[in-house]
Amino acid sequence: MKKYMGNKLAILLFVAPALAIFILFDFIPIVQVFGYSFTNWNGLTMPDFTGLKNYIKLFGDKVFVTSNRNQLIFAIIITVYQMFFATIFAITISDKKMKGRKFLRVAYFIPVILSVTVVCQLWGSILDGNGLLNKFFEVSGSDFKQNWLGDRYKAIYVISFVNAWQWMGYQFALIVAGIKSIPSDYYEAAVIDGCSNVKAHMKITIPLLAETYKFCLIISLTGGIKAFTEMNILTGGGPNKSTFTLTYMMYNAAFKKSDYGYGLAAASIMVLECMMVMLLINFIFRDKDQGKEEEKSRRKRNA
Amino acid sequence: MKKKLVSTMMSLTMVAGLLAGCGSSTTTDVATDSTTEVAEEVAEEKVEEAAEETTEEATEEKAEETTDSGDKVTISIYTQYADDDTKVPYDYAVEQLAEAYPNVELNLIVQAQDDGQTLKTLAATGQLPDIFQASTDVINTFRESNQIMVLNDVAESTGFLDKLYDANKDLAYSDDGNIYAFPFSGQEYVLWYYNKQLFEDNGLEVPKTYDDLKNCIDTFTAAGITPLALFGQEGWNTAAAYDVIATRYAEGGIKDLDLQKANITDQGYVDAAKTMEELVAAGLYQKDATTTNYDQASEMFLSGNAAMFINGQWYIEDATKALGDNVDWMFYPAADEASYEAGKSVFSGGGSSSGFAVNPDSENAELAAEVAEFITEKYCEAKVMYRHNPLVAINTGKEPESEYPAMMKKLSDTLPSVTGTTKFTWGLTNSTFNDGIQSETQGLVSGQFTADEFISDMTDIMEDMND
Amino acid sequence: MLEGRKRSIAHYIFVAFCWIYAAFSLYPLIWMLFYSFKNNQEIFVTNPFGFPWPLHLENYVTAWTKYDVPLYFMNSLIVSIGTVAITIAAALLFSYATSRMIWRGKTFTRLFLGLGMFIPVQAIMIPVVKVVQKFNMMGTRWSLIFPYVAINLAFACMVYYGFFKGIPIELEEAACMDGANIFQTFFLIIEPLVRPATVTLVIYIFLNAWNEFILANVVVGSIAKLKTLPLGVLFFQGEFTTDWGGMGATMVIASFPAIIVYTLFSEQVESAMTIGGAVKG
Repeated sequence: MKKYMGNKLAILLFVAPALAIFILFDFIPIVQVFGYSFTNWNGLTMPDFTGLKNYIKLFGDKVFVTSNRNQLIFAIIITVYQMFFATIFAITISDKKMKGRKFLRVAYFIPVILSVTVVCQLWGSILDGNGLLNKFFEVSGSDFKQNWLGDRYKAIYVISFVNAWQWMGYQFALIVAGIKSIPSDYYEAAVIDGCSNVKAHMKITIPLLAETYKFCLIISLTGGIKAFTEMNILTGGGPNKSTFTLTYMMYNAAFKKSDYGYGLAAASIMVLECMMVMLLINFIFRDKDQGKEEEKSRRKRNA
Repeated sequence: MKKKLVSTMMSLTMVAGLLAGCGSSTTTDVATDSTTEVAEEVAEEKVEEAAEETTEEATEEKAEETTDSGDKVTISIYTQYADDDTKVPYDYAVEQLAEAYPNVELNLIVQAQDDGQTLKTLAATGQLPDIFQASTDVINTFRESNQIMVLNDVAESTGFLDKLYDANKDLAYSDDGNIYAFPFSGQEYVLWYYNKQLFEDNGLEVPKTYDDLKNCIDTFTAAGITPLALFGQEGWNTAAAYDVIATRYAEGGIKDLDLQKANITDQGYVDAAKTMEELVAAGLYQKDATTTNYDQASEMFLSGNAAMFINGQWYIEDATKALGDNVDWMFYPAADEASYEAGKSVFSGGGSSSGFAVNPDSENAELAAEVAEFITEKYCEAKVMYRHNPLVAINTGKEPESEYPAMMKKLSDTLPSVTGTTKFTWGLTNSTFNDGIQSETQGLVSGQFTADEFISDMTDIMEDMND
Repeated sequence: MLEGRKRSIAHYIFVAFCWIYAAFSLYPLIWMLFYSFKNNQEIFVTNPFGFPWPLHLENYVTAWTKYDVPLYFMNSLIVSIGTVAITIAAALLFSYATSRMIWRGKTFTRLFLGLGMFIPVQAIMIPVVKVVQKFNMMGTRWSLIFPYVAINLAFACMVYYGFFKGIPIELEEAACMDGANIFQTFFLIIEPLVRPATVTLVIYIFLNAWNEFILANVVVGSIAKLKTLPLGVLFFQGEFTTDWGGMGATMVIASFPAIIVYTLFSEQVESAMTIGGAVKG
């Protein structure tokens, strides 16, 4: 069996296309990004090696601190929101007794289909000073009216919500696909054993989807760290850079200040942060993976 | 064809504005005829000129290139093409170009509003279009890598320099003494627009001092009207909002800071920041000003939901179209009457060295340079004739197709006494300062950053400027 | 049964919540449609949320006349389909090899490719365009397809990895016993098992490619015959002013084909997922 699954030719043929495209169009550019981050470069002239200067300047930059804080908030909010709603909706529509489940499944996915621009325009007009949300509070007699996107400290939460709302549908679809790939007899057996619906899912479905969840966690967290477009459209990074992220810093430095080297230093830090998050998640899930395998084989023996 | 349509529609709206409510069929005919006539005349003139030029100067290679082959030469051009202010001049220039240079075809690449990201990437990867619209920042960046052509000779030979108004000479020349772009905009000014009707209805006088202004703010706020609609999502508007205050205390405004002739900790700039902080607290701008875009703010002003507006003089045309006689501009208020009077000769805004530049690596660089000059002239003509904007770079010898709006007349009458201007953000030379002043003033506008924070942050930014 | 009755009120509240949330998800469609029939004044001041009246049909007329909608549409379609096909094929093979086959360095290779998830396009744009130029792809549709594949590859591989990991090893053992070679095993037995993942990925990658703007603008922005639909918005953004209604019309033109296709195919999507599950069970 080991020989069968270790077919060298097959491995080479399987791995080569993806690896080639990745190295040419992703990896080489990434290496260049890291390289240029040690230079003073405006994007056009010959870069000028300056060692760690960009990084030293970066760590002393107030906006760098704000950006990291924003990314953290963003990542946490979208992760919690998306995983929570994606799970309950996925379980709900997987229940064959639920009426209109096909319609709901399409509906939850619609925001994913729209481009970020459309979604941000929509929420921009809802969250506007005279927007739908404030009108709603006005009509209902509440004085909860807010300057949703213009607040130095709170705007980032609102922007995170917009992103979480849009991409929840994708995690939902992934979890639905995951549930579909779990043989239904596992779950039915648990229900027959007297578990309630929710309990059966908590005990059976979710543990079996560990790999899917791990993946969802990675996309939410790194998505938060990479965030850019929502800020760019909804607040323009404002007021006064209080909704900046590292990607935004990179964009701002490279194109507004023609300081490409500095921008790429910010981008490099961001890539390192993402890598650390991914390694951390892999580490946390490591033991559980093994546990799951064991549980699976035990289940098999019992059956 | 398309251009005719546009200009017809434009003249229509303008004529309709004058003869409010008249039957439209007759006016259409008149308008169309006059535009076409003007266009034809200009075209003829230009053909003659061009012919003279080619024979006289006898640049042989060019002649070979352009006539012998008989092939069309395609020249790519990266420029704005969206609203009337950008479409009308372009369409007019293309039409004129077809007559003067029948063998040249333009390939329009529409400019993206992305802080120069696209243009800089095109330059970095050697794909620069033959002609591109370059801002001060782009000129300064590209000249370091020799990706922008020196146009001194072309400006001379085509007679561009002769036509350039004296006041605009500095717009053509970059700070190293070379011409890198043909400017089409002349000196421009930040105007503080106000809705006369709203001021009258609320029994208010045009404010001269900040105390008057605060009084206006209170009255308007009580009446449910936004005192001043700012489009603070765009940093240049918040910077202008600071500059109109700063120039009342320190004549050089943000220009002197940019050139490091003054420091942000100078008393005038500190006072200006404090004044702005107070005005923000009093409610001068709408609460969500920092997330308001241009169109939102403009609609607030034009629909009478906001009493004042800060924008360039190019807005006169649109404001007059929508509000007619009810709109005017005021001299910026100041701390007291004396400085108000004294400040009447100082405006925020100014010219910027920017315009059509040429890619020196282009196959047809020489021809492209000539075409760029030609297009620049035509842009100026179109702006004078169809956009009622006489503040263009060169003397076009053209007259607008109808009378100038009252606000433009008032501005023209004021200009001779103007002694100082500052800069729009796109005319600033230091990109670190430019980025800093835009976001820091946005912080002030938001009301969540204090004047002290503004001063201390700006101090840091200005220390960074020479890095 | 007793338990069921006790839960019923909470259950109805929950069902109502599900439907309200669905309405919230569908609202953008209606909003966008309304928006595309308004002018700036209505959008920002007089009528931001209500039914558009009078209908500003001219937004669609300008969108249609300002740029070649059918051509842009075809370009978007070709580029998106190309991107999906190559990404899915490459990711499927790669993930199978790194998740189930046995060789040294497979974890490293997998994590190495995972790097691609973290790169903002803005940062690598200039180097990527240079690579595209080196391969003489400029002026062809490959100049968009390859960078798009690279952008989506890491993501697709991670999704597949999760799905492949969940398949019991016994399947391959059985296939091996039956005398199938590794290629047959993969294409006939394993690949159908991950169809649910493939379906969701096809949709996701297609949409990514369909909506991409930044790279498209730099790479094909100057080549009229290769421009894609998202570039249409450029015709509405002026230096100072934007024709938001016209943008709305452009967004509708760009988004509705994707929505219609998704809605029509959602039934097939559903059945594709079910087959995947059934084979496995």
